[in-house]
Amino acid sequence: MARKHRGGSRIGSSFLLLYVLLISSCFSTISEALSVTVNELECVSEYVLYEGDTVSGNFVVVDHDVFWNSDHPGIDFTVTSPGGNNVKTIKGTSGDKFEFKAPRSGMYKFCFHNPSSAPETVSFYIHVGHIPNEHDLAKDEHLDPINVKIAELREALESVTAEQKYLKARDARHRHRAAENQRNELLRNVWPFGVRAYKGLIKGLLLFKMSATTCRGFLGR
Amino acid sequence: MIAQSFSLFILFLGFLFTSTQSLRFDLQSGHTKCIAEDIKSNSMTVGNYHVQKHDENIPLPDSHKLTVRVTSSYGNSYHYAEHTESGQFAFTAAESGDYMACFWLSDHNPAITATVDFEWKTGVAAKDWGNVAKKGQIDVMELELKKLLDTVNSIHEEMFYLRDREDEMQELNRATNSKMFWLGFLSLFVCLSVAALQFWHLKTFFERKKLL
Repeated sequence: MARKHRGGSRIGSSFLLLYVLLISSCFSTISEALSVTVNELECVSEYVLYEGDTVSGNFVVVDHDVFWNSDHPGIDFTVTSPGGNNVKTIKGTSGDKFEFKAPRSGMYKFCFHNPSSAPETVSFYIHVGHIPNEHDLAKDEHLDPINVKIAELREALESVTAEQKYLKARDARHRHRAAENQRNELLRNVWPFGVRAYKGLIKGLLLFKMSATTCRGFLGR
Repeated sequence: MIAQSFSLFILFLGFLFTSTQSLRFDLQSGHTKCIAEDIKSNSMTVGNYHVQKHDENIPLPDSHKLTVRVTSSYGNSYHYAEHTESGQFAFTAAESGDYMACFWLSDHNPAITATVDFEWKTGVAAKDWGNVAKKGQIDVMELELKKLLDTVNSIHEEMFYLRDREDEMQELNRATNSKMFWLGFLSLFVCLSVAALQFWHLKTFFERKKLL
């Protein structure tokens, strides 16, 4: 949570350092890249501190052993604002990016709904970005533009990081499917190969038996 | 006057940073919830969790205390806490892979739901910036820029990692293709050779028996 340090008695350099420490400890980017297993409905909540903050993120369904065909319903993703309204809804998808401007501050709920009976693992990333603007300041303070620029740069870097996490999750899913494909293809070809070899062997054996017994008798040797 | 300008200065700094927020989820008694994160080896990771209290004054009943375990993908346990209301863990990941933090509430009748606040930071976010500021005696803007530099470096490393993974994927596909090709070739060869063998056997047999 943001801590505001107001007022100040006489502050020496050691106290300044203390202030710096305290303030530095209360910052970070708000972003998590995590995976959860969704059985039917799984919700996570994240607190948005300022109204107007941009909430962005992505999610990818890293499917289990179930090979998703086109009939799979996908999963539904909904974002609910603290007032109970649906801010964002994405239905029937295996992964997507999202972004919205928070209409108000408070606790936002991000829910994944899995309509199928098989549990799915969802890897998601949510980032709440804030750029300092005039509204954050009390009156008779002025906003240093460099701070705004630094915040914008930070947000741009966060969006690159978010994209990377999305790519990584998609790559993981792709690799999982490619390995499965390879296994299935090998099995699919080994079976007829085995059958052919078996048939050839049986034919050879029968021919041998036939030539050894019948013809000898027939030709009287 | 100085004090006032100091306080203004401090306020500025407060607006430079976004605040640390936590992820919140509900946990039913008797159920387990696991959250996994992909962590690269030799990167620092920090996590803390606590059960949300409905009322600050009333101590949390035993039924709301959760058990936590953090394990690596190889099964090594990095943190274990039983019947606790809050806690934290920090470690440097020895192996790369999916690390799982599992929470469970012991069974209770009637079923209760506890709200858990959980925060898990890895890499740049997990670094102790307060310490860095203290050691270097650097001002806050420089600290913020250092953080950005670290973020850029981590993005760069991640790009290399993604490129390597893409290479591996291409290699896998190429290997699959070549395996399919050789398998088909082998299968064809075996078929033809078996047919040739049968033909040869019958031919020599009939020639031997002076039928041909």
